[in-house]
Amino acid sequence: MHKSKSMYPYYLVWPALIIYFIFFAFPALIGFYYSFTDWRLDRDTIQFVGWDNFKAIFSDKVLILALKNTLIFAVVTVIGKNIFGLLLAIGLNMKLKTRNVLRAVYFSPSILSILVISIIFTPILRTEGMINSLLGKLGLESLAQAWLTNPSIVVWTIAAVSIWQSVGFQMAIYLAGLQSISKEYYEAAKIDGASAWRSFTNITLPLLLPAININIMLTLIGGLKVFSEVYVLTGGGPGNASQVVGTIILRAFGEGNWGLGTAVNTLLFISVSVIAVPLIMFMRRKEVAE
Amino acid sequence: MRVRQKVQTIIVELMLILLSLTIIVPLLLMILGSFMNNIEVMQFKIQLPEKWLFENYVTVFKEGGLARAFVNGVVITVISCTVNIVTSSAAAFILARRETKLSSFLYLFFFMGLIAPMSTITTIRVVQWLGFYGSISSVVFIYAALNMAFSIFLYSGFVKSLNKSLDEAAFIEGANALQVFLKIITPLLLPVNATVAIMVFMGVWNDISIPLYFLPDSSNWTMPLSVYNFYGMYSRDWNLIFAVLVLTSLPVIILYVFAQKFIVSGMTAGAMKG
Repeated sequence: MHKSKSMYPYYLVWPALIIYFIFFAFPALIGFYYSFTDWRLDRDTIQFVGWDNFKAIFSDKVLILALKNTLIFAVVTVIGKNIFGLLLAIGLNMKLKTRNVLRAVYFSPSILSILVISIIFTPILRTEGMINSLLGKLGLESLAQAWLTNPSIVVWTIAAVSIWQSVGFQMAIYLAGLQSISKEYYEAAKIDGASAWRSFTNITLPLLLPAININIMLTLIGGLKVFSEVYVLTGGGPGNASQVVGTIILRAFGEGNWGLGTAVNTLLFISVSVIAVPLIMFMRRKEVAE
Repeated sequence: MRVRQKVQTIIVELMLILLSLTIIVPLLLMILGSFMNNIEVMQFKIQLPEKWLFENYVTVFKEGGLARAFVNGVVITVISCTVNIVTSSAAAFILARRETKLSSFLYLFFFMGLIAPMSTITTIRVVQWLGFYGSISSVVFIYAALNMAFSIFLYSGFVKSLNKSLDEAAFIEGANALQVFLKIITPLLLPVNATVAIMVFMGVWNDISIPLYFLPDSSNWTMPLSVYNFYGMYSRDWNLIFAVLVLTSLPVIILYVFAQKFIVSGMTAGAMKG
């Protein structure tokens, strides 16, 4: 036993560990400390200020709105990307003539930069843009909206663009999951006279659990870290209606409010961990139980 | 039953084709628009250009100063990919083979990187301490570090699926761990290397947020931030904007066309194994 240990020396881990530590883990760790300081661009000394930054965050309407928007965005995109991704995967797992072309089409937006996607959607989402004029032609003028300038729907619009972009990626993971399910299960269920819905809930869903897990994790973590689509589509506007944690950190950074910005980041870190870690553990346990 | 199933399949197919228009139309709007003149493009309609203006692309490259951004993008992407692949595959090899408390702790430590958001402002602080804030090399290390968790996660899944007796046979012949890693494990990891390379390449090439924080000097920017800047300056010339967007996307599209297999199958296989 002792011999087999020394066969795999840790010096091969060092390069990765050093880079990861210096440029990711260490900054995250000292972030906790700086969250409790008055660290600012225009000051030479850094002082410990206790909970002041967090009090400031929770008494600032814009910051609370940003936290709320981030949560809405994350929930909406997790649901949208997973439900549509799963439906697309089920459809494209059938024996369709255009299957391969359609798979490539649906997947294609997920290889593009979110910057490219957001800029394409700017003219489409304008008040006099493509979507509203299409609605007009269909006689549905009443559904036309100021998609990017109406404060009460702008976050939903951005979430929709994000779903549009990444649903093909979720689809690909679900497809791989579906293809790994043996057809024999379905045949056996058919012989037993099970309905299509029953074989979906009793065979497909449980066996798809690993794919569901990974997709929910990816979309949830990505959703809470949202930044680029908001930055390009609205810059947090109109007013501050679509600010999210990511754009608030950039703003705090630009204003030289580094202690506050770091505190916002710490809050994000804690929220992501509080939501994601139990979810991972719960899903792992369920997967083993299945 | 047979007939009903066939009808069902046809209906599903028609619906999926119709729905795919929501993907195709915006992309086509960009591609066709990039060849139009600046008046025609403002209609934002799906139609063939009256005259195909290929010179839009030349204009964009000359006036946008994008050649530099393109080169920066290639340099940053290629080097950070390489650093990431070499270091994380070696680390994953050891972590997957050793079954000790320390190795599983280290694995978890790396795994946290998949969950934790990057602490941007303090990372700037650290890079300033090291004295190379604003440089291309700092960004290379940051990208390598940001993608480390994901790569180690993918690699260790695959290393675990390789039989340990492969290594042991080589150890008996007197090879050391580095030799085993280079001569036995690395060749077997080639498909994973391709997957990681592509995922990191796409992530880095497409990213806008790191340059925004870490590259204050525009001469070091990669494509997305330069494009964003261009978009602000040329907001009247949507034909040029669309041309820039196509140009930015070309490398990842080419990569996708040639390496599609690795992107989808490699990524999903790795994701499922974890």
